[in-house]
Amino acid sequence: MSSITIKHLSDLTPPSQERTWLTSPHPTLPIVATCSSDKTIRIYSLTNFTLVSTITGGHKRSVRTAAWKPHMSGESVLATGSFDATVGIWRRWDSYGREDGAGWGMGDNKEITAEDTTAPNDIDTSNREEDEEEWRFAVLLDGHDSEVKSVSWSASGMLLATCSRDKSIWIWEDLDDGDNNFETVAVMQEHSGDVKCVSWHPTEECLASGSYDDTIRIWREDLDDWGQVACLKGHEGTVWFLDWEGQDSVPRGISSGAAAESDLSTLQAQWRTQISLSGPRLLSCSDDRTVRVWRRQPKESQQQAALSSAATGIPSIIRPMGTDEIWEEYATLPRAHELPIYAVAWSKRSGLVASTGADGRIAIYEERFVPAQNSEQQQADPDAMDTTSGDGLTTPLRTEWVLVGIHDGAHGIYEINHVAWTKRADRGSGAEEEVLITTADDGSVKVWTVTR
Amino acid sequence: MAEIQNSNPTILNAADLPTRLRPAATRKTEYGGIFTSALPLAPVDYESALSSDSEDDNLLEEPIDEQEIYDLISSISDPEHPISLGELAVVSLPDIEIKPTLPDVPDSPLQTVTVLITPTITHCSLATVIGLGVRVRLEQSLPSRFRMDVRIKEGTHSTGDEVNKQLADKERVAAALENGALMGVIAKMMETCH
Repeated sequence: MSSITIKHLSDLTPPSQERTWLTSPHPTLPIVATCSSDKTIRIYSLTNFTLVSTITGGHKRSVRTAAWKPHMSGESVLATGSFDATVGIWRRWDSYGREDGAGWGMGDNKEITAEDTTAPNDIDTSNREEDEEEWRFAVLLDGHDSEVKSVSWSASGMLLATCSRDKSIWIWEDLDDGDNNFETVAVMQEHSGDVKCVSWHPTEECLASGSYDDTIRIWREDLDDWGQVACLKGHEGTVWFLDWEGQDSVPRGISSGAAAESDLSTLQAQWRTQISLSGPRLLSCSDDRTVRVWRRQPKESQQQAALSSAATGIPSIIRPMGTDEIWEEYATLPRAHELPIYAVAWSKRSGLVASTGADGRIAIYEERFVPAQNSEQQQADPDAMDTTSGDGLTTPLRTEWVLVGIHDGAHGIYEINHVAWTKRADRGSGAEEEVLITTADDGSVKVWTVTR
Repeated sequence: MAEIQNSNPTILNAADLPTRLRPAATRKTEYGGIFTSALPLAPVDYESALSSDSEDDNLLEEPIDEQEIYDLISSISDPEHPISLGELAVVSLPDIEIKPTLPDVPDSPLQTVTVLITPTITHCSLATVIGLGVRVRLEQSLPSRFRMDVRIKEGTHSTGDEVNKQLADKERVAAALENGALMGVIAKMMETCH
């Protein structure tokens, strides 16, 4: 089964002494931000895997979540969400401390040797006072009534979405007026339980949210009003995390028994014409131990569905009206977890999906094209799980998800709260090589290589 | 807790409760006043044995059985009465189960402790607090390789599913642990734990 090897590359040191919830990779720099129950955010370098700085003093309770604002140059901006019901915005000049070589640890080619093992602690202590000026506390976004669970910046970086146990989602506009002003754009309260996660579409101003009410909801702005355009039902437990497919992602594999490899590019070209109509798909994971993929019906086939239901007299379950969209469950990935799945990550580079959770396991899945003859057989079987992506114009393409790698006990006996893909940045790494970063209950953060 | 929800609960005789011949309490860490019984509790001794890398140390870890779990939680007090959960039969030995978390991974050290709670009355709004107390007690006392599954016994509570979902939600439990008022109640319930 396993055609992929998940290998431990390094820990990020020194670790937090308390539970860590999430590690957010910077969009361009080789650094990550780790959120800890000790009320701090720890910034680690991916070039030498050591602590660069610690953001303290902002939050009164556990820091649950963090996200880097995209498209910043010369300055990094981090949004953090805490159990203290507030969202913090933090700023740091990328040039800060670069003269003395501290910087982000990027120009710092020092190899970690046995003699250096005490160094991280020393640096930690000596920098402590500087840290306070290094990270400038910009503003506290106050509005939620209870614990903030997730924050996400829109693709443009203009909008920040935050969500909470108070069942609401807030959208804030970063006015970028040099005065750190944020304006509340919308407050959405349709979820009937804690909103556990929010995630923006990779290119459009379209937000997805997952909740304790077991649903996923899609939100868009229509004539200055933000509203729900779809409610995705299927999960039978809390939806813990969401991630989007990359904008130009295509399946990279082809099932065994299929025709020659050269068919792959043909299938991918066909995929692009069929799937580009519906845009990037959405990935979700849940307390129900499943990982699912959701796909929006293209507008034309949405209308067709409405027409055909009118013709057959069978009412469609969700009647498309106005801005409403029909999202369908595209696939349920092979079962790989025994306990709640807390995080999923869809690689924008390789198309691989990683999941992790309370069972301490990392699972990796790959999407593969299913050969035409197989798909015909399966279509004849009404019970087969159908992931047809056809638009009626060409032979519908089918894909299957294959579990390609499992790593048990990735953080020993501890639960893993988060997983993320990011670009590898340590010495000797390839140009476009990716690593996985996992974040666990014991405060440890580990970096993994994923190779075939 | 303004008004008592169940003013006349059935109480079992303490002498009839399941126990070992050797009192389990003698092996356990002694807790001091209210502050030490509040969070975080000192880990029980075998935790340090587990965190050690040495295989020999691992062998020293005493196997933890259902009776041991019962001993840990039966002495918790009901939030309404100065009576233990064991005496109220809110927790009982047959409703405790320990099994491997990952049956398909034979060498995995993970084990799941399932505790079914029987509230004294079916509409008891304190069921969540009792469940939280049991879960917190286990999380603080057992090594990290244990996964807690604390649930209301089926058919014994009007909103059992709702309570179960809350008790199973790691994030909610973590946030509750940072809630001073709630933890004050839990700490009070645990004052009677040895």
